[in-house]
Amino acid sequence: MKLQVIGCSHHNAPIAVRERLAFSGEQASAALVQLREQFADVEAVLLSTCNRVELYLAVEGGCGPGRDEIAGFLARFHGLDVAEVDGLLYQRLDREAVRHLFTVASSLDSMVVGEPQILAQVKQAYQQATRLESTGPLLHSAFQAASKVARRVAGETAIHQRRVSVPSVAVADFARQIFERFDDKHTLVIGAGEMAEETLQYLRAEGARDVTVVNRSPERARELADRWQGRTLPWDKLADALVEADLVISTTGSEEAVVTPENFAPVEARRYERPLFVLDLAVPRDFDPAVGGRPGVYLYSVDDLQAACQQNRRLRDKELPAAVKIIEHETGQFMAELHHRATAPVIRRLKQDWEKPKEDELRRLLNKLSDLDDHAKDEIRQSFDRLVNKLLHPPLESLRHESRQGIPSTLVEALAKLFQLKD
Amino acid sequence: MLSGVGIVCFAASYAVALALEISRILFRSGIRGAVMLGFAAAGFFAHTVFLVHRAAEATGSPLSSKQEWYLVTAWLLAGVYLYLAYFHPKNAFGVFVLPLVLALIGVGALAADAQPFAREPASKVWGAIHGGSILLATVSMLVGFAAGVMYLGQAYRLKQKLPPMRGLQLPSLEWLQRVNSRAILISLLLMGVGILAGAVLNLINYERQLTQLPWSDPLVVSTMGLFGWLVLSTAIGVVYKPTRQGRKVAYLTVVSFVFLVIALGVGMSVVTQHSGTSSDRGRGREGEGEARRMCRNCLPVSPSPDLPFYRSPGGAA
Repeated sequence: MKLQVIGCSHHNAPIAVRERLAFSGEQASAALVQLREQFADVEAVLLSTCNRVELYLAVEGGCGPGRDEIAGFLARFHGLDVAEVDGLLYQRLDREAVRHLFTVASSLDSMVVGEPQILAQVKQAYQQATRLESTGPLLHSAFQAASKVARRVAGETAIHQRRVSVPSVAVADFARQIFERFDDKHTLVIGAGEMAEETLQYLRAEGARDVTVVNRSPERARELADRWQGRTLPWDKLADALVEADLVISTTGSEEAVVTPENFAPVEARRYERPLFVLDLAVPRDFDPAVGGRPGVYLYSVDDLQAACQQNRRLRDKELPAAVKIIEHETGQFMAELHHRATAPVIRRLKQDWEKPKEDELRRLLNKLSDLDDHAKDEIRQSFDRLVNKLLHPPLESLRHESRQGIPSTLVEALAKLFQLKD
Repeated sequence: MLSGVGIVCFAASYAVALALEISRILFRSGIRGAVMLGFAAAGFFAHTVFLVHRAAEATGSPLSSKQEWYLVTAWLLAGVYLYLAYFHPKNAFGVFVLPLVLALIGVGALAADAQPFAREPASKVWGAIHGGSILLATVSMLVGFAAGVMYLGQAYRLKQKLPPMRGLQLPSLEWLQRVNSRAILISLLLMGVGILAGAVLNLINYERQLTQLPWSDPLVVSTMGLFGWLVLSTAIGVVYKPTRQGRKVAYLTVVSFVFLVIALGVGMSVVTQHSGTSSDRGRGREGEGEARRMCRNCLPVSPSPDLPFYRSPGGAA
């Protein structure tokens, strides 16, 4: 039995290399099929994301392909030189491989620790491999356990709740606390800066659909609006756009505040204090801070959110030991189960070998006591069953106990010799 | 066996659920949600059994005493909490709703009269509508108040740009504002129906030449004041749009709660003829019954101890 992971990630490979080794969905399917052809008994799951390319492999009762063979396979698939790939691959075996999978699925190995997409990507990779019949009992157990561990980490620690980038904090910790839903809200982007796009990504993920871009340069406004299926308004319609908006992302390169208490007053009168979320990503700021004091206006600048980001980072770091503890505990349990599973043939044989004499003795006894009624016969049968179970309990418990340390080969051999168990 | 369920049983269950809600701030736990919900559900079950048992055992009209009025209100509010805790498990509703539930139980158990009213009401239907509507209006106002306090807390955090407090996650402002507005509207409608039903009851008494409740009765005045405030706040919302938004709605529900507390306080402490009038003197048991039964189940009242038919908690007239 051998479980292993071979691959590279943002920890050890630059993005240029990861891009060359990355698999699209179709490529991943083709690679799994080829791998199956090349290594018939190997279970395999291929996880390919922006930050990692990893092959999870398992073989029951054998060794499976080594690191060099997988490096050669990856290089051939992508038309690369083996030497380019070889030095960048890491390999984790058995317990380390399981711990690595649990860590990845729980998002503790991600570039942004706690980002929630990785679990979905792990599940997707596993489902793809299952569809292609490239998984088996070992990887089924490992990936299902990984999902469970990730859920535990998410449920019992606050790691996933702590966003650390300004746009993600703005949306998750503030915008989402103001609005219940985003699909009926108007998003206004003032300026066409790149920072706005990351925020729009998060807002789009929350369901925001209606995007309006107001920019001094209509061409750049049009470009951004086209990318987000939005519309544009001329710069002189900014006040109207502010009246209509629920969420504002401002990223102009203006040297002076674009929205001041003076030009916001008529907008405010027309908004009737409807809540307005403003994310001012511009430096210097586009919104005069005094506007944030107006009723219904929730104004956040980069500095405001940096403080929240740092606090989240500190809180998240505090949660890490708890998450690592969960992973350690679950890895131990998983390995114990796995080792115990290796003793299954011995246990089966032991039970079978004891079953026969029990049945023989029972039959002999019941033949002698033919006057007994059915109830009495059942009682005797149950008594024999209990006796066998009690006799079997100590050796089985010893096997389970020893499985926590590894496959109990010595004990298995001893049992086989003691009880003359045959294959 | 279930008849042994006492107020302490369900109050303790709610108190444990509240303690668990508060502990969210201190530490995280994977099973706390289920345990919390379990305690609240157990409390709600015991509360239900208690009320059913009291209704079945009642010698007069079931669930008509002051004490039971508070306990039924607390029961409905606990039901609202259970619903919210089950469907919105991440939000700390209990921190705001359960203290109200416990306060209602506390007032009911410690300060309210447990003496039920007589069995036959002047008009069973109008009596039930009157009492039931005002009771539900009270629950709606309490829900609105809890939502209003949550809104103000959430709005303060967002204005101060503070990250969410661990374990004290609140719903979005949009959700809270919706609950607030609806709570005001629902309590206005129910209170209106309740007062109308009370007036009809008075009319029935007039036609039957029985004792009427004067409009100057302190409880009637305070209830009308509460209703007037609800009408006024709704009217302001229609005329002045900003009061339909955000913090102003929250303030309106908080003020409504203050009016409610005043009305309840009047019912508890001021001598009122709501459950009997001095003109009942000499009318004997018939007059007593009519006056008492007229308003059973509505805002709990403190009967005049000098009335000839006043029954002490021990049952003596």
